[in-house]
Amino acid sequence: MTVKTKQLIIGVLGFAFLGSLIFVQAMEVARRRQEAGLSPHPIAVPAASKSCVECHDKSSPGIIDHWEGSTHAIKGVGCVECHLAQKTDADAFDHYGATIATIVTPKDCGRCHKTETEEFMASHHAKAGNILASLDNFLAETVEGHREPFNPHSPTPGHDVDLVNGMASVNVGCKQCHGSKVALLANDGGLITVDDLKPDDSGRPTNSEALARIKKDDNGAPLLDTSAWPNTGIGRLNLDGSLGSCSACHSRHDFSPRRARQPENCGKCHLGPDHPQKEIYEESKHGVAFRDLKEHMNLDAHDWVLGEDYTQAPTCATCHMSGHSRNGGRVTHDPGERISWSNRPPISIVMDTDAKGAVIKEKDPELRQKLIASTWQEKRQAMKNVCLHCHTPKYVNAFYSQYDDFVVNYNEKFAKPGQKIMDVLHEQELITNAEFDEEIEWTWFYLWHHEGRRARHGASMMAPDYAHWHGMFEVAERFYQELIPQARELVHHAEEAGQTAQAEAVDQVIEDVLARPEHQWYESAKKLVEAGKASLVEPPPAAVAPDAVDSPANATPAATDDAATPAADAAKADTAKADDTADPATEKKADGGTDTPPDA
Amino acid sequence: MSRLSDWFSERVPISGDQLRELTNEPVPNHLKRWWFALGGTPAYLFVVQIITGILLAFYYQPTASTAYESVRYITEDASFGWYLRSLHKWAATLMIASVILHQLRVYFTGAYRRPRELNWVIGMCLLMCTLLTGFTGYSLAFEQLSYWGATVAANISDAVPLVGSFAKQMLLAGDGYNDRTLSRFYIMHAAVLPTTIIMLVAVHIMFIRLHGVTELRFEDEPADQPRHFNFFPDHILTELSIGLVLMILLSALATIFPATMGPQADPQTTPEVIKPEWFFYVSFRWLKLFSLTFAVISTGFIVGAMFVWPWIDRALVKATGIKEISVYIGIVGTLLLIGLTVWEAVATH
Repeated sequence: MTVKTKQLIIGVLGFAFLGSLIFVQAMEVARRRQEAGLSPHPIAVPAASKSCVECHDKSSPGIIDHWEGSTHAIKGVGCVECHLAQKTDADAFDHYGATIATIVTPKDCGRCHKTETEEFMASHHAKAGNILASLDNFLAETVEGHREPFNPHSPTPGHDVDLVNGMASVNVGCKQCHGSKVALLANDGGLITVDDLKPDDSGRPTNSEALARIKKDDNGAPLLDTSAWPNTGIGRLNLDGSLGSCSACHSRHDFSPRRARQPENCGKCHLGPDHPQKEIYEESKHGVAFRDLKEHMNLDAHDWVLGEDYTQAPTCATCHMSGHSRNGGRVTHDPGERISWSNRPPISIVMDTDAKGAVIKEKDPELRQKLIASTWQEKRQAMKNVCLHCHTPKYVNAFYSQYDDFVVNYNEKFAKPGQKIMDVLHEQELITNAEFDEEIEWTWFYLWHHEGRRARHGASMMAPDYAHWHGMFEVAERFYQELIPQARELVHHAEEAGQTAQAEAVDQVIEDVLARPEHQWYESAKKLVEAGKASLVEPPPAAVAPDAVDSPANATPAATDDAATPAADAAKADTAKADDTADPATEKKADGGTDTPPDA
Repeated sequence: MSRLSDWFSERVPISGDQLRELTNEPVPNHLKRWWFALGGTPAYLFVVQIITGILLAFYYQPTASTAYESVRYITEDASFGWYLRSLHKWAATLMIASVILHQLRVYFTGAYRRPRELNWVIGMCLLMCTLLTGFTGYSLAFEQLSYWGATVAANISDAVPLVGSFAKQMLLAGDGYNDRTLSRFYIMHAAVLPTTIIMLVAVHIMFIRLHGVTELRFEDEPADQPRHFNFFPDHILTELSIGLVLMILLSALATIFPATMGPQADPQTTPEVIKPEWFFYVSFRWLKLFSLTFAVISTGFIVGAMFVWPWIDRALVKATGIKEISVYIGIVGTLLLIGLTVWEAVATH
């Protein structure tokens, strides 16, 4: 063999080796880049979904693009795996050989994500659909629209309007956050919901008569009623009996954990005049830190454990749901697990919950104790365990002391008196049983539902402007400048109408409220002037009665041990106070008839 | 100036002529061809590894609790840390590749034959040391794959008959991966193996100087052409040119494909796919093809045969009468090496 030949062999093999090295390194670099999140992951289209992907990539490429960015796509979970339905399902239809359903419910997700689904189904989130037919819904259904279709006033040029759908506000507003009751069109013109289908535990409908009435299109697909679909409300009442929608937080079709970890995700619903949690968060130091340090927060981490993957700032998910180093990284899909006050009702209540996760409203201490499955103290400790990643125990306890004092002050100074005045107006029939037909009902609603919540949420998440100017300042103004004058006006009208006894009963409540030390400042000067003991131009005497600090109503514990504060206050409120207006029935009504309502 | 020169000559009594004599090894003509002048490449890269390695060692902390964080600090926080780490990583890859290319050239030209058998054995020792250095270095990052790669390697060692258990103990500093394992890898990677390599390279070069470089005479070379040319400055310029190109290539690789961070080692979670560094792909694929015991014994046999190949070659030539039998075996072996490596690279499991 000549040296030339050997040179050729060396050359060929050497270049082959170098070529293989370049190939191997290219593979290795690609793998490392994927591992570091610098390049897209490979997509694994399962055989069952191959034709779906091919077709929808042309007809609705956005769906496929989003799906390709999902962990599902990496793991080989395609379209059919989630949309899969049984032929016996009410909403099942044949789609190019596959039996599928349009709506993917938590029961479907639970086929793979069992623990997450169980936690979610036990959460307040899943029960958010219970708000339907509540006070809030009355506003949207009746006050803002009409429960029955009604005739238009006049033609709309260029658009045929035969009937007005009075439920439009509910469908587009309430239900998009709280969730709809999914409905199929029936052949007889009615609707078929979970109530008609009576699904068993596995979600299969048991009422064959209802199944037979389902209206279908030319392709044999059941028709979903547009009042309930599209809808990804978090408490959606699904046809298979499951509650909620996972895609409310895990947006389809990429189900991005990164997005679910960011406050904007929660901001679809948790914002606005009545519960501006997102805006409150943004005002807080937590939100400020998040905006600044977001890029360092490892939002793409697999587990995203506070204290291990990041510590820069908390988001909504961090405090209410995500795993942290003190709980072994355990994520919860029940955001109520770490909330100790429910600030949703007119009067805040502590979050003692029963076995079903419902907030206990029982006032009898013994009966209450029997019902409790999880105490508010346990929930608070769970939240403190999050706080302690960045704050000292002393700091956290002091924060909760401030928060407790704030909520109790709101409850005792405005909420309970306000509720009492509204109750006596109803009892004495100076206002009707219909909601929102009197000005004072709007006033009261604004006071607790908008301003009162803003104040309490502001305090819960350390947003001073929401706690004060958007909160307690407006609560006070609404109370003194609108609620009290409007109640007195009703008394005045009653007196004029000869309803003396009723007027006196209401007036007595108003005067009792205003006679309390914490309200004495309001009219003490005027009363002195009226009694001739002072001049309008002279400064008023001490606005606060000397005994105010000793009054039981103001004797909020110093709360150095915050773990004892709300319970003590709640017990006191429940047992000792004559002005306790947190009647369960009233509260339920005003509360929207649900336990849903976390404070943050 | 003259006084300074005298002062220096008095203390370092080597004249310019002597220095030229010392370095001016006559270089065979075939080394004018670039392809044959790559022997110095591993040495270049070794120097890069020493310099970047020392700089990285300022920051690296070889304990299970701090290793990953210190590598992350180097990669993300330290000034030019990412560049140094990337240079170190890519120089390792290029060094191993150039050692293999150098060995291919030596093998196919029969340069290991008498009287240079011992230098081949030293070359094999250098190859082993280089691979071991790569393995221990890969493990130091304490990433999920490097941790599990080391664990798999230890388990493979355990399968070696007779000495397996001892080898595993020596590798891991215990029965399993423990707090002392990383420091053992670190000492091996940063002290023992580099020192060994330096000493072996010294012996390797000494043998080259003693025997001279194997002369390859091409058939088309004019008979009257001088058979040698000067090391200085002719060959040294070739080497410098190769070195410059190498540095540019290395810097480009480090900049375009910088070293990234994989997930931190988690002893509780076995990754779905375990991959060693690329230079072990061949043996990893080999292991997957056969039973562990057979694969380990056969690998040991192949490596052993490579060590004593000069004598096996002579015996084979004598037995078969085929003078270039090594070339044919080498072609099969190289294709096998390339094939198995690529196979493992594309395999997802």
